[in-house]
Amino acid sequence: MTRPPHLSSMDWLHAAVLLTGSILVCAYWIAFFHTDITMPHFVHQVQNPALVQLTTVYMGFESAFPLADLLVAVTAALATFYLIGQDAKAVLFGLVASGALGFLALLDISFNLSHGLYTPPYLFKDGGLQMEAMINIGCVAGASWSIWRFWSHPLRRAEDRASQLMAMSRAAEELNREG
Amino acid sequence: MSQPLSYLFAALLIGLICEQLARTMRLWRYKKPYYPILNVLIAFGLVQGLGVAWTIGGRQEIGKIAPVLFMAGAVVGIAMEGANEYWLQAWSWSHRPIIGITRSIDKAAFVGAMWGFAPVATVIIAHLLRQLWKLA
Repeated sequence: MTRPPHLSSMDWLHAAVLLTGSILVCAYWIAFFHTDITMPHFVHQVQNPALVQLTTVYMGFESAFPLADLLVAVTAALATFYLIGQDAKAVLFGLVASGALGFLALLDISFNLSHGLYTPPYLFKDGGLQMEAMINIGCVAGASWSIWRFWSHPLRRAEDRASQLMAMSRAAEELNREG
Repeated sequence: MSQPLSYLFAALLIGLICEQLARTMRLWRYKKPYYPILNVLIAFGLVQGLGVAWTIGGRQEIGKIAPVLFMAGAVVGIAMEGANEYWLQAWSWSHRPIIGITRSIDKAAFVGAMWGFAPVATVIIAHLLRQLWKLA
């Protein structure tokens, strides 16, 4: 049992961003399965055959994300947990979470661009796509900031348990040789 | 049997099994003797059973909603373990390793992530309980 060590205000902010991120990922998928607020408007235009095909492709693509987002949500929560405890594993889980978030956001942007969903006719009229564009930009910016911050964090150079044990065994070997 | 009741019973059953296993294997110790009862009732029954499993998975196909159930259960679980590790200290870890994990902070993180299985298992067991209720 340990009391949380002293955290800088930037570490608290970083922990809050990571925790908020993992809660928002969960909230997005709960909303996706229970409501229509995450859906673009074209999904509801069932009379237009061209849009029906696009809807099928779009829904198939989106439905593949929950399992991958599970990794983001859980590793971001673990990074928050270890960051509050000022443990070196915060860097490991933080980089995994941020890297996975950035990758998934770029994959989504790539899909939307290649299917013309970010062109003015769609984007200016569709509130669902505007929200998706905001999420994509937020994810890329948040992931980049988090990667930069974890890479320059003092915990990255902190000794973890494995390296401490190796250093101890090396010291013991040297003592034995001298003795 | 009503749907929410089946979820509550399923989560309580999982909680009882987990607490009994942990007691037998001496994995953690509670500060007060009534804390395990509170943990089964509140953390398993109300939070993971009704709060996560029923509200998220109650009207959905388990195959599609399972990743969402796991991520929500794990995020809530990591938050609960973190709150205990850093502030509440209602339970503490014994010296016995959990699948090779020895540090208390790592045990809390691992168990926190494993909470993700609680709502997934709750949905499956609640479904089985309702089927058994119909047969009886």
